[in-house]
Amino acid sequence: MLKLLLRRFLFLIVTLFAVSVTVFAISELAPGDMATNVLGNTITPDQRASFNAQNGLDQPALTRYRRWMLGSDREAAQLIGAPVDRFYDTENNQTNWWVVGSNETIYRHRSEDGEVILQLERALLPDGKLGPSRIVALGDEIWVTNDEGEEIFWGVNEDGRAAMWIRGLNQSEERLTRAGWISTAGAPSAYIPLQKGLLRGDPGISLITRQPVIDTLVPRLLNTLFLAGIAFVIIMPLALFLGVIAGLYEGRPLDRVLSVGGLVATATPEFASGVFLIVIFAVWLGWFPGAVVIPPGTSIFEQPQMLILPIMTLMLVELGYVLRVTRASMSEVLRTNYIRTAVLKGLPYWQVIWRHALRNALLAPITVIMLHINWLIGGIVVVETLFGFPGLGSYVLASALNNDVFALQAATMILVVIAVVSQLLADLIYVYLNPRIRYT
Amino acid sequence: MKEDTTSRIHPGIEQAQTQLQQGRISRRDFLRVATLLGASLPFASVLAACGGGTTTTAPPPVDPVAPAEPTLGAIKRGGVLRVGIAVQAVDHPARFSWTESANAFRHVFEYLTETDENNITHPLLLESWEASDDLTVWTLNLRQGIKWTNGDELVAEHVRYNFGEWLNPDVGSSILGLWEGFLTIDGVEVVDDYTVRLNLSAPKLDVPENLYHYPAVIMHPSFNGDVKTGTNPSTGPYTLTEYVVDERAKFTRREDYWQLGEDGDPLPYLDAVEFIDLGTDRTSYVAAMQTGAIHTMYEPNVENYLSLRDDPNIVVYSVDTSQARVLRMRVDQEPWSDNRVRTALKMCQDREQILSVAYNNEGLIGHDVHVSPVQPEFAPMDTPAYDPEGAKALLAEAGFPDGLSFNLSVGTGWTDVVSYAETLQQDAQPGGFNITLDTMPNNAYWDIWTETTVGITPWTHRPLAVMLLPLAYIADEAGNPVPWNETRWVDEEFSTLLRQAQGTLDIEARRSIMADLQRIQNERGPVAIAVWQRVWEVFNPAFQGVVAHPTLHNQWLRVWYDPDLDPRA
Repeated sequence: MLKLLLRRFLFLIVTLFAVSVTVFAISELAPGDMATNVLGNTITPDQRASFNAQNGLDQPALTRYRRWMLGSDREAAQLIGAPVDRFYDTENNQTNWWVVGSNETIYRHRSEDGEVILQLERALLPDGKLGPSRIVALGDEIWVTNDEGEEIFWGVNEDGRAAMWIRGLNQSEERLTRAGWISTAGAPSAYIPLQKGLLRGDPGISLITRQPVIDTLVPRLLNTLFLAGIAFVIIMPLALFLGVIAGLYEGRPLDRVLSVGGLVATATPEFASGVFLIVIFAVWLGWFPGAVVIPPGTSIFEQPQMLILPIMTLMLVELGYVLRVTRASMSEVLRTNYIRTAVLKGLPYWQVIWRHALRNALLAPITVIMLHINWLIGGIVVVETLFGFPGLGSYVLASALNNDVFALQAATMILVVIAVVSQLLADLIYVYLNPRIRYT
Repeated sequence: MKEDTTSRIHPGIEQAQTQLQQGRISRRDFLRVATLLGASLPFASVLAACGGGTTTTAPPPVDPVAPAEPTLGAIKRGGVLRVGIAVQAVDHPARFSWTESANAFRHVFEYLTETDENNITHPLLLESWEASDDLTVWTLNLRQGIKWTNGDELVAEHVRYNFGEWLNPDVGSSILGLWEGFLTIDGVEVVDDYTVRLNLSAPKLDVPENLYHYPAVIMHPSFNGDVKTGTNPSTGPYTLTEYVVDERAKFTRREDYWQLGEDGDPLPYLDAVEFIDLGTDRTSYVAAMQTGAIHTMYEPNVENYLSLRDDPNIVVYSVDTSQARVLRMRVDQEPWSDNRVRTALKMCQDREQILSVAYNNEGLIGHDVHVSPVQPEFAPMDTPAYDPEGAKALLAEAGFPDGLSFNLSVGTGWTDVVSYAETLQQDAQPGGFNITLDTMPNNAYWDIWTETTVGITPWTHRPLAVMLLPLAYIADEAGNPVPWNETRWVDEEFSTLLRQAQGTLDIEARRSIMADLQRIQNERGPVAIAVWQRVWEVFNPAFQGVVAHPTLHNQWLRVWYDPDLDPRA
């Protein structure tokens, strides 16, 4: 059993690695140049070059993949000679990177001429906030001679990127600040965009909102898990129960009603059944809200009644499917010889069903159900869009529409992790239910 | 009426008054011109009454422009307005390219002027303005005593800071296109703390209107570059308390706003305005309207309007606009560089049918000219006929005897654009055009709107045609098409006439220039415009004092909430 677990776990790691490479490769191969996608097609070649350098897009794919997965802060810290970390600045409502100095100060650097490095220092207050700032001009001793004989200095620039200045090289760069493109002198010659990496929970900064992707992703994921979780808990036992009932009464009126009803519900696409439900329950009867409106200052968890119609919509699609698989499996098991034997040797009917039939009949539906966890998380984008639900599905959709590559990559990875983990769970449950494959 | 407004009447106002007396311009035209030149609206109304009273075509003594005054005591304070609208990723207000963003932040920041639903512009942060007789020097007088939320007083230097941002090409503001060739930052002169003088290099008529261009909110010089942060000092009636992109925003009433309500206390009447983003699908907005989860939604389209107009719990307000879905052809690409091809496609529009199919007959017929009948300078034109036979002949003459196949870029989020494109696809078949619809999400269309060869671009309303045309149909000083010139169409005669129209105050003279401009654009222009859209505001009836604005600009400053009228309460 332990061996099986280990093997499955190893397999999971390999799968995730393969998937991360694939996701990275797909966003690499996506048509169009990232600079154009993000900045529009009116940018100049200089602006494009600066954008690519500042965002590390001019690096080899392998380097970028490594930074995406494992982060770039450690290599930058090594070059700078001091740790770097993120701090939240309440003044401009922004999280950004700074060099962490000794004695509770953090630094950033800039240069106006490539000769003198100016250090912007801010005190770190005990409550974690940033204190007053001051600017100091650094002396000559900071320059380090590298292998090529150039005098260089590594620091963190005003945009929160690790940057390398070469002494005496007064070049200009194009910077996209929040006030537009600015051409500044005293520009660094190399950059490392700072991030902690996906494995350490930091998929980078969104190119569209300029906020950390994780800040938006986590609430969206929680919303979706909440919706999908409730739907799952309601739908699956109900579908299994009704499926077993239908299987037991195969061919009788009850079975006909359940089977045909399930087929009709499943065959109706969710955007159609969703609209029907809205019209009937929200507009005509006025029983439930017809859209998920989450006013500022509240969260979805406080108003679960908003989830009723989305869950009913999901239920209509899912219920019939699982119900029919269970029904077929149940009726097949009931026809087997060992069930006939059990009945013939005089066991009570319900004991036969409960002890002998049910366990075997559930094998097929469990596989289907576990596959549907993934569907529920990622595939409810239609339902999320229909009801205006701020979940992961609509986030993926919006990121794809906005060319927000980092957000899209991160959201996709999360969906894949959920898929792979739920698959592992499915396998384990299957092993538990079916002793025949336990030690193979 | 104040002494300073009566002391000097612009000669243009006197001229317009004479025209009004002679019945040559309408009363509304007169009011527009008079307020444009710096007369306050009440004063202009008096002038209009003085002028009109002596003629046989006397206007009614009742002022038709002033909004119906709410009876004192009817107004209630309090309440929260919940709006279904996109909450967009924005940073610098000067770079806004969506009305939704401007609608959010016009609650917090303010404009120097304000154009109302009748396309008349009033001073807002300004107290008044004066134009020199040749319309090249504009003096803007700031209202005194307006305080930023950080305690500073609004002064002329702050206004100059904003002009610096707008006119800086690096900032990339669409405002720049409005001033291109007229004003550089050197022409913005701070006379004293409350006076800014704009020294233009050419006459310009629409200065006050341009100050209300939707990205032109006045920011404090300490602006941190990100309007979403909510920490920037502001002058407006609300302050930003929350802004979550793609999800929601909240604007809370400021206690010490400078404008007073009917009851003598500071506006606004509402406690807060909440924006709720329900995603890209409009069904959820309509469902939320129908169930009362939101009180109004931004920009209901024709289908939304049809499904909401008979709802007893919803009130609809409507207004005609100069907003259109513009079928535009890039004249720097084959075969659209040939005017015969463009004209042939224009001839293939069955306008009545498009109006009926795509807009359910809600709107006005267009003339392939980016000037709407609701704009004052519009010169009446004949409706171009649907003529597929003529189109076919013209195509053959241009070297396409077997017809022409092309792709039309269409954003599918605009359902009326899709119906328009499909109707055109059928109407143009007999004319020899084989149109393939290249459909994409709206965002994808906005990525390529200036680049695609043929596409349908939504253009919003502008109160005056002389404001819109320079945005899209001219070249900059270096001879390159301005950033929003999506068709690259630059016509020397058109540009010269347009410059002339922009400096012509007299409405009749301007209209006769417009007649030429419209003729040129109709004959050899790069766009087909079949229909001018109507817009609607849909509201929970408990909200009083709502007016539909042609640009759907909403600040809800004077809207109040009467809980007794709320069907959902």
